[in-house]
Amino acid sequence: MMRTRMPGISRRSTLALMGAGAMTFAAPWVARAQAKTIKIGMPTILSGRVAQLGTSSRNAVMLEVEKVNAAGGLAGRQIEMVIRDSKGQPQEAARVARELVNTDGCELMIDAEASSGAFAVHEVARDLGVFCIHTNSETSALTADPKQHIPNAFRTARQGVHDSIVGGSYAAAIAKAKGLKKWATCSPDYAYGRDTTAEFTLYLKRFAPDVEIISESWPKLFQPDYTEVVTKILQAKPQALYSCLWGGDLTSYIDQANIYAMFGQMEVFAVNMADYTALTVVKNLPKGIHSGNRYIKTFPTTPENAAWGDAYKAKYNEYPTNWSWENATAIMLMAEAAKKANSADGKKIAEALKGLTIKCPFGADGTVTMRGDDHTLVGYAIGWGTTIPQEPYVPEVKAGDWKTIFELEAEWKKSKGYA
Amino acid sequence: MTELEAGRARTLAPVQSGAALHRYRDVLIALIAFAVLASLPLFTSSKALLDFVIRCSAYGLFATSLNLLVGYTGLTSFGHGMFFGLGAYSFGLIMQKLGVPIPVAFIATLAITALVAAVIGAICVRLKEIYFAFVTLAFQMLIHSTILSWASFTGGDQGLRGGIPRPAFLGINLANHIHLYVASCALLILGLLAMRQIAQSPFGYTLRMIRDNAARASFLGIDVWRAKLTVFVLAALFASMGGMVMALFVSGAYPEFAYWTISGEAIFINMLGGVSTFLGPMVGTVLLLLLNDTVTRFTEYHGIVLGIVILFFALGLRKGLLDFVAEWYAHRRETGEGR
Repeated sequence: MMRTRMPGISRRSTLALMGAGAMTFAAPWVARAQAKTIKIGMPTILSGRVAQLGTSSRNAVMLEVEKVNAAGGLAGRQIEMVIRDSKGQPQEAARVARELVNTDGCELMIDAEASSGAFAVHEVARDLGVFCIHTNSETSALTADPKQHIPNAFRTARQGVHDSIVGGSYAAAIAKAKGLKKWATCSPDYAYGRDTTAEFTLYLKRFAPDVEIISESWPKLFQPDYTEVVTKILQAKPQALYSCLWGGDLTSYIDQANIYAMFGQMEVFAVNMADYTALTVVKNLPKGIHSGNRYIKTFPTTPENAAWGDAYKAKYNEYPTNWSWENATAIMLMAEAAKKANSADGKKIAEALKGLTIKCPFGADGTVTMRGDDHTLVGYAIGWGTTIPQEPYVPEVKAGDWKTIFELEAEWKKSKGYA
Repeated sequence: MTELEAGRARTLAPVQSGAALHRYRDVLIALIAFAVLASLPLFTSSKALLDFVIRCSAYGLFATSLNLLVGYTGLTSFGHGMFFGLGAYSFGLIMQKLGVPIPVAFIATLAITALVAAVIGAICVRLKEIYFAFVTLAFQMLIHSTILSWASFTGGDQGLRGGIPRPAFLGINLANHIHLYVASCALLILGLLAMRQIAQSPFGYTLRMIRDNAARASFLGIDVWRAKLTVFVLAALFASMGGMVMALFVSGAYPEFAYWTISGEAIFINMLGGVSTFLGPMVGTVLLLLLNDTVTRFTEYHGIVLGIVILFFALGLRKGLLDFVAEWYAHRRETGEGR
């Protein structure tokens, strides 16, 4: 049974405790490390369900930072990364980001958060004015919406709308060639799944107007059992299926759908299939699943890209992920911008970064560009191909056309009221 | 000595003046605490320390309000976080969509919370123990799902984007870090003081009686349902205040604020700090946030460390820290002074 204590006692001891606690922990906070090195803070997700992706972000960053440091650092200053776990919680991401700047003295920031965490860190960047590159959030609004725009924040991740345009036009070409008119969709029930699916079908119908969506399934995020979804789709008898399930959800879905021999009965378009985290985990990878590229060392088919993928594999004994190339690109861009500005100062780097084009293994034509007007990465390798059950998994990727992407993106921005 | 015996022993003549004295002492302590906290920025330029106190205010209000239910009334709510999330979202949405002055949004949020809490409470407080816990949890998940699926209004799982506007009012500019800090401290102290008054009032003692023996309270003519509903709504208001402080701190609101893990954290805080003293949850808050902040600096396996700590409290001390300290102190005084 709970009892009420004498109030005076508890209060006094509490105050003493609180005082002691505050003193103990204030001391190191006051002292700030001052050194020639430049600290870059990086909140990311190192625990929980997407920890693998956060770890792969960290790996890629460290791989690139070593190169930059070996070449003399950021405008002569050696980079020291301070990487901390946000647990995938936005309030923790905000706290960690503030702590990295205010306590650890980080002068630059890499925000390797996904989804809501990226928006939380974006607010911190707005508040503190610290230079920040978002590396993992694919939500188009983060850079497309002018309300989000701040001069000190950039993004080096792929963007949802780019993927949809390329995916839609690729799928429409196949739909026309093979006469696929009845389509079904199956995507996770949250903003990313809903938005991406809506945009994909928008562009699919635009390029192939007689396509019809006859069935929609929205399994929960991290759902363990897909039997109900699989049977629903089989009963609807579509000719093609679109899905933006990802990671463990996609692999369990494929393993379970394999039991029903689903992949022989329809063409499947799974945008997130061609990522090593999914490709290497599926038990029996069906042949002929259409997928967008995430990270694959065979696309772009350049020796630079293959070398980068192999170097990563040699160092960490696993293949890079989609998040890996996005984070590596952030460091490459930072280093180049610092060189151009001849300074490691955040404001000067931001200025130099606008419109900067650099050589990059992940570029569609060997280069990527940080677009000046909305601070987002363009020109990165983007394309679709079909799977085979063993390495290289996706032997041929058909590259998307950036000219079409730009045209349709501008139109999309107008329709959203962003431009 | 049981709770009731303790109560009876004090219900003698000096109780009136004693209560008044206690009240003044509480106010005095509150004033001193506020003065100390508010003058902190004069002595340190550490923004991290100020951030820490702001987060303590948010979680402290939230956890202490849960203790009104758990410790004082015996209502173990697993869904208290819904009001934390509701506060953050209502406040953020009102500020973003309507652009009213902050105090108006503050009051409006409290009104919305009171309304929602009254409806949910009316259904929940009839239930006992595990049933109450689970129905509150169910309502929490309902609110969380609503936030996720009503994406056009709430921003879905991306949260409220674009920042919460913080226009200055009465010379207070919450976009300024120091102003936000002092305002958070003020809200914390006022909230704690108000909850303390509730806990020490006759109503507070009614709650304790309901906790110890609801049937007896009912036979004495107390409307148990109404008392439970009242404290449910009151606790929701303070949780909502905590949510608003958090929304101001991160300049946004995210579905995680309304997820069951937030309720879990509040229960964890109460276990750490102790539920038998008023300030137990506050101590728990400071402990948990300190632990969290220091442990995550050094390892990403913070789950293991926090797990060991809670095992130590649950199996080792078998009570919260402040419970333990208070008992030890009382024991020492009893034996030492030979009372």
